[in-house]
Amino acid sequence: MQNMVGSDNGIPIVRPEPNTNVFLMAEMWRWSPVLILEKDQSYKFHISSKDIVHGLSIQPVNMNFQVYPGYDYLLEFKPTETGEYKVICNEFCGIGHHTMIGKIVVIEKDEDLKLYGFKDLKKPAGKAAAKKNEPLTEAEMALMGEQVYTLKGCGACHKTDGTSLIAPSWKGLYGKDEHVIVDGKKTTVKVDDEYIKESIQNPTSKITVGYENTPMPVMGLSDEEIAQVIAYIKTL
Amino acid sequence: MFRTCDITGFKVDLQSEKLIRANAVFAVISLLFAVVAAILLVFTRYQPVHLLGAEWYYRLVTFHGLNALIFWIIFFEIAGLYFGSTVILNTKFCAPKWGWVAFALMVAGLVISNIIILMGKADVMLTSYTPLKAHPLYYLGIILFAVGALLAVILFFGNLMIARRDKAYGETMPLVTYGLMTAAIIAVITLASGALIYIPTFLWSLGLVDNIDPAMYKLIWWGLGHSSQQINVAAMVSIWYMVSFLAVGGTSINERVSRSAFVLYILFICLASAHHLLTDPGVSSAWKVWNTSYAMYLAVLASMIHAFAVPSSFESAQRRWGYNKGLFQWLSKAPWSNPAFSSIILAVIGFGFIGGTTGVIFGMEQTNIIVHNTIAIPGHFKGTVVIGTTLTFMGITYYLIPLIFRRKIAGFKWAQWQPWLFFIGIALLSISMIVLGQLGVPRRHWDSSFSGGPFTHNFNPAVDFFWALMMLGGTIAFLATIIWILIVVISVFFGQKVNGPQDMQLKISPLAPQAKEHKGFEAPGTLALTMVFLLVFIALFFLNWKWLAATWNVN
Repeated sequence: MQNMVGSDNGIPIVRPEPNTNVFLMAEMWRWSPVLILEKDQSYKFHISSKDIVHGLSIQPVNMNFQVYPGYDYLLEFKPTETGEYKVICNEFCGIGHHTMIGKIVVIEKDEDLKLYGFKDLKKPAGKAAAKKNEPLTEAEMALMGEQVYTLKGCGACHKTDGTSLIAPSWKGLYGKDEHVIVDGKKTTVKVDDEYIKESIQNPTSKITVGYENTPMPVMGLSDEEIAQVIAYIKTL
Repeated sequence: MFRTCDITGFKVDLQSEKLIRANAVFAVISLLFAVVAAILLVFTRYQPVHLLGAEWYYRLVTFHGLNALIFWIIFFEIAGLYFGSTVILNTKFCAPKWGWVAFALMVAGLVISNIIILMGKADVMLTSYTPLKAHPLYYLGIILFAVGALLAVILFFGNLMIARRDKAYGETMPLVTYGLMTAAIIAVITLASGALIYIPTFLWSLGLVDNIDPAMYKLIWWGLGHSSQQINVAAMVSIWYMVSFLAVGGTSINERVSRSAFVLYILFICLASAHHLLTDPGVSSAWKVWNTSYAMYLAVLASMIHAFAVPSSFESAQRRWGYNKGLFQWLSKAPWSNPAFSSIILAVIGFGFIGGTTGVIFGMEQTNIIVHNTIAIPGHFKGTVVIGTTLTFMGITYYLIPLIFRRKIAGFKWAQWQPWLFFIGIALLSISMIVLGQLGVPRRHWDSSFSGGPFTHNFNPAVDFFWALMMLGGTIAFLATIIWILIVVISVFFGQKVNGPQDMQLKISPLAPQAKEHKGFEAPGTLALTMVFLLVFIALFFLNWKWLAATWNVN
């Protein structure tokens, strides 16, 4: 997560340092994250599953491994060719099995990223954060918040482009006056740190008018993650 | 109660005959279920047609696997075990009542599991890797079936004991029965392994056990899953020897070696299960390499001995009948119009060239990475279980219809073509699947265009050709199977009665005469064919290592 640099079709993109640990997680039905690796560099892959047994199949090089829940499969990979590789699942994992496909991109130099449609990738946030002891800047917090947004799946309901189908969009949300229902009565609140924190920890205490039928689940974020999400929402 | 067969002279226990018939009938029903599912699956994976929805696709993969690999084969094997332990030994069935109990348990298991699958309560594939969970009745059905099969195997040993007590055979047990006995011993081992894994899984599905470790499950499941295939191999090879004996009066040119090869199966085949764990965490590389190399090759060696001994028994007998010209006259003058004979020869070829070569290559740690869980794996076992075992069982049925069901074979002309059609169909299907797998196409996968996924992947464009070939092969094999089923059903239920040797459409040959003089090796033609086989194997072997060189480095 420290090395997250953006997202691709809702899946976080991670660009790990060579010779470090890389975590690839399988779950019904996605591989996360999308990885950007460098040619002829080694990476220690930790491969595991969140739910049931999956099959890691890297195409078109056609390398196949079994992935188990509760096991950490350590494999050292050294990509020998640049290119875009797909990670498909080849162990039956339920009805959405065929949609389970991820991506690994192998590059030689930064300019190659454009070849694979990666634009505006951010610098890894974690590197700076890990080194210094002082608090993160607001911008770094926002970047971490975006990672939380992607990794925790907030984006399934909350969009950031202004469209609100299942849940209110986060675009322009901060500082806005929102109509909510509290104990069955309509009232208006200002969207601030306090309100967002309450909505994450206890989603049903104040329900936004118009979304009564799709209650939000409790996501179980830490205080730190909540602060990061708030910082992210502020930037939208 | 016995009847004396007017064709073979065997004393046939009527109780045993009924049990053989009942088990054989359910084998055919299971095969019908399996192939109807199979053709629907083929036309689903063939993307331009994409027949079934995802739900029914996975449901029928489960259904097909269980009916083809378990019900069809085991019902037939039980019929075979009863035949080999009573009819061939002129012995009575030890406890016919228990035979019916075993049969009832197996039928109950078949009915329960199939209903649960079709109701959509067990979309877990044949392997049902935990934590995928099926309805408890699914596991119960399999357990009932396995208990029934185990009981049947015990009855087989009971029959052998009676035969031994009554001195029903000479100094040594006939090779066929000996082979079937090794199949039965392996069956006991694997069924124990099956109980070890299915009973806890059943309890887990009921909520009585908290957790089944998924890697442990896979390890033990394959103790059942692959070793049970050795039951098939041992049974299949026994039938090969039997047909050589029936069709040309051939006997193994070195019976002692053939018998030792059966023993090798028992000793080493459990290790073949190890290759299912090659791409798993939790077992060390050293363990993987050891278990999939030296030890496993001893079991492969056994198959190679049989694959040599069976054709050489044909060749040797044919030469003694006078077909002695050149390397291959024994083959050109072979009884090709006998569908049991052609089935067996085609089965030997398919099993060796398609199933055997790929089995050894895929079973190595390094090359396994290329094909693990790709469609090449079912491609491999289409070569072993379908061309090998199923075609063999189809072939011997052409003898069972007149001898056990006492009917003439209806549509005998069709019967003569059927093995060839089946062989061509499955060979195309199997080879296409193996190539598709080498190109990365996964098995058990509803949509290789990944619709609905965040990304997509286009396989090598060559896949289109092989998908079409696979569909063609599948269709041919489906038709060939339906022809076989129709022949069997029409013959058995509506066929003309067999009233004596004059009604036999298949020849039963007397024992081949002793060789007048012995010069040189008895079976040079087989030796030449074996060399061809080894060359093909070496070529495939290096091709796979070349592909491996094209992957990333991995430790």
